[in-house]
Amino acid sequence: MDVALSPNGRRLMRLFFALVIVFLYAPIAILLVFSFNSSPVPVFPLTGFTLHWYHDFLTNADIQNSLETSAIIAAVSSVGAVALGILAAIGLTRHRFRGQLAVSALLLSPLVIPLLVLGVSLALLFHELGIQRSMLTVMIGHVVITVPYTILVIRPRLEQIDSSLGEAAYDLGAGPLTTFRRVTLPLILPAVVSAFLIAFTTSFDEYAVASFLVGSRQTFPVYLYAAVRFPSRLPQVIAVAVVVLVVTLVVIVAAEVLRRRAEARLEAPA
Amino acid sequence: MGAGEGGLTLEAATAKQAAPARRRRRRFKLTTPALLGLPVSWLAVFFLAPIAIVAAYSVDVLVLFPGPHGFTLSAWRSLFSGTPYLHLFAKSVEMSLIVSAVVVLVAYPLAYFLALSGTKRKYILLLILIAPFLTSYLLRVLAWKVILGDQGVINTFLFWTGLRSPDDPLSFLLYSRFAVMLVLGYVWLPFVALPIFVTLETIDRGLLEAASDLYASRLQAFVRVTLPLSAPGVVAAFLFVFIPTVGEFITPSLVGGTGGYMYGNQIVDLFGTGFPDWETGSVLALFLLAVIAVLTVVFVRFLRAGEARAA
Repeated sequence: MDVALSPNGRRLMRLFFALVIVFLYAPIAILLVFSFNSSPVPVFPLTGFTLHWYHDFLTNADIQNSLETSAIIAAVSSVGAVALGILAAIGLTRHRFRGQLAVSALLLSPLVIPLLVLGVSLALLFHELGIQRSMLTVMIGHVVITVPYTILVIRPRLEQIDSSLGEAAYDLGAGPLTTFRRVTLPLILPAVVSAFLIAFTTSFDEYAVASFLVGSRQTFPVYLYAAVRFPSRLPQVIAVAVVVLVVTLVVIVAAEVLRRRAEARLEAPA
Repeated sequence: MGAGEGGLTLEAATAKQAAPARRRRRRFKLTTPALLGLPVSWLAVFFLAPIAIVAAYSVDVLVLFPGPHGFTLSAWRSLFSGTPYLHLFAKSVEMSLIVSAVVVLVAYPLAYFLALSGTKRKYILLLILIAPFLTSYLLRVLAWKVILGDQGVINTFLFWTGLRSPDDPLSFLLYSRFAVMLVLGYVWLPFVALPIFVTLETIDRGLLEAASDLYASRLQAFVRVTLPLSAPGVVAAFLFVFIPTVGEFITPSLVGGTGGYMYGNQIVDLFGTGFPDWETGSVLALFLLAVIAVLTVVFVRFLRAGEARAA
């Protein structure tokens, strides 16, 4: 006898699971349908098939600029977050020290701060320092948000690595930097790539903090938020959003598959 | 913790060895501050200092408009003496509690099905369940705006099929408390299944078999074994929804109208361009932060206590 589920319970749960999946995907599917619908307003009945909205967005400079701005911000801030994350993860993994729990709590605490509060706080900080809002201020905010994610991804991987590998390199005369570059980094590389992608997609989609720190160059979410308020821009916005959604999904799934493969390969010889 | 164990074994190994090993250990100790210095100072400058500045604004030590000022608790006092803000906070907490509870109740059977039904495709199904969470947040809110409006998918569908006259759309669907709670639930549901799944997955199935051998029914086994063991995941899931939704402002500003106006919207408005009041805004922001900090600390204690009991 199955101790967790009766046959009927299993059937019922399978049905429930399917219903929830429909609930989760239906709204996205509806957006997809309307992005190909020829009417300029997203209402039933459907009026006909068009690629007009996709074509429009290819010629819309505002959208393209905002995508470019977001891509730059996401790239720079996730490189920064990954660099800080690697340092922090190694520092926390090496060995025990007094106050380690407090340091680890501080490094992870941006996970729970309401982004609204972080955005307001950083806006006040830059106001006090007299720093103009710009792409740089958004990048700074996004590094704060994404550092904890990079630590959470990289640290477990570091803990898996046999510490004798680093010691062996050290015994063979490698300095700390060489040991890191030749031994540690190659071993944690899959996790580093994952961390980068998580940070990148988080930054690319982030609105709350960016809305307080954005300068004259709008990020994509800031553009999207403003555009949602104008019904006439809706179909175009939906088309872009669908493209971004598909790209994000493909990148995330591909990255996860590649990471598993790479880690399996790194484990294999041992 | 894993890090601690790693440190301990290293320490034990080095202690057993002679002088060169001791030198190595000293060297490791010196590198730790060097490694942690940069990340810690980054957060000190761009995370702790900004919060301190908000605190300074909340007691009028820093002000938006020049003029005579000094330390005062008046904004704090007025928060706790019957201003509408506290009432609004209570409303947000209530909405957020309902959303978190409903979402956890829906997610639990999903996670249970994936973790315990013995299906071979559980990781693929889990990925399918979570994938919507990885897509744009604004996009998912936008989808509901398209669906719920007076001229939205649901209403135009009802007009089209003649179930409802075009003069009389279902108008409670959008710009209401209902809309905010529905969208928040929709947005967070995929994510919430994850912590519950993880705790259920780590439950030793042998325990369930033992319960069954001792003549426990499935329901008894669930109530006495599975449910208590999955409690940390349930609490985590609950907080993972509650913490971000209680200070939410994006969803209510897009689909909430006046009925769905939340505490977070008030904070944004106080820092906005209309009639800025940074002092009150800072008080509201810090209050929110304090509530969430307390919740987080209590939760971490709860998890630690659970781990200690298990060990």
